[in-house]
Amino acid sequence: MLRVPGVLFITGFVLMTQATAVSAQDSSYETRALRIEGHHGDTRIVRGADGNVVGTIGIFRGINVEELVSESDKATLEAKQFAHDYGPGTIFLSLGIATLGASIGVSQINDVNRSITTGLTLAGTGLIVYGAGRLQNAYNALARSIWWYNRDLKR
Amino acid sequence: MKSRFFSALTVGALIVAVPAAAQQSGHIVAAGASPAKAGASTPSPSSPAIAAIDSSRRYDSQALRFESRWGSADIKRGTDGASVGTVGWFRGFDVERLVASSPRAVAEARSFKTDNFRGSLATSAGALTLLTGIAVTSNSSNNAASPVLIILGVGGVAWGAQHLQLGYSALSRAFWWYNRDLSR
Repeated sequence: MLRVPGVLFITGFVLMTQATAVSAQDSSYETRALRIEGHHGDTRIVRGADGNVVGTIGIFRGINVEELVSESDKATLEAKQFAHDYGPGTIFLSLGIATLGASIGVSQINDVNRSITTGLTLAGTGLIVYGAGRLQNAYNALARSIWWYNRDLKR
Repeated sequence: MKSRFFSALTVGALIVAVPAAAQQSGHIVAAGASPAKAGASTPSPSSPAIAAIDSSRRYDSQALRFESRWGSADIKRGTDGASVGTVGWFRGFDVERLVASSPRAVAEARSFKTDNFRGSLATSAGALTLLTGIAVTSNSSNNAASPVLIILGVGGVAWGAQHLQLGYSALSRAFWWYNRDLSR
């Protein structure tokens, strides 16, 4: 007679464990999935439905994205690509802006050779375009990295 | 007493072992086993293992993200990254319809639409005003309006850029909610 409550208890426990497994998968995404949001010129990586900030990426500052997404292999690969492009992108973009600023400054001097101004303007523009391209690659890799990380949360 | 205990233990072990085995076979399928093998495993269609596999497959084929491309952004879907549309300056791609299956994503998509339009308008007007101010200044005409034009232009570009950033944050949230609701 004691068997029936015992079996019922075990069955209930097993069913409850399975239900928890399914809802854990949902809550895992809800609480741990990442996304990117902009904030006053910086990029923030936020986590979960509440949007807790886990890191900020801005000019000359960043976070270790590889460490953040290390649970997913493909996300880590993309994070490496982000790190590879982000630093050079920032440096070239800054150099380009500085060179363009210098060309504007030089152009204000009356007896300066015009070819210097033209050269500086072209060099500045080229550096800006190259730097922006590298930064674009970096942010696209970051978007892919986060996508793969969130995808692997669901497994 | 002993026999009761052992029989309860046996029943308990059976109940635990069967779903565990089913779940394990589900993990093997998810890790890349052939579809034929997936069909050979016997868990019921409503079992958690099947639900988990379906959820993963749905995410793999349906989940959205966006990647930027010189002032605009390509919306991509799934592991292949198939492009489903482009958003950006004055581009009218209907993100609301794309994420229509998730109510919270739709709300964020609306927010994106509003901010993207305001941002596009303000940055364009600001850039035009700024260029006019620079042109007036470089012509060495002693026009009092030129500093005003430059300040207004920079302000317009900054305000517009802020709205564009808010818009893309809303788009990111829209896709986050949409991808989250794929598993439900």
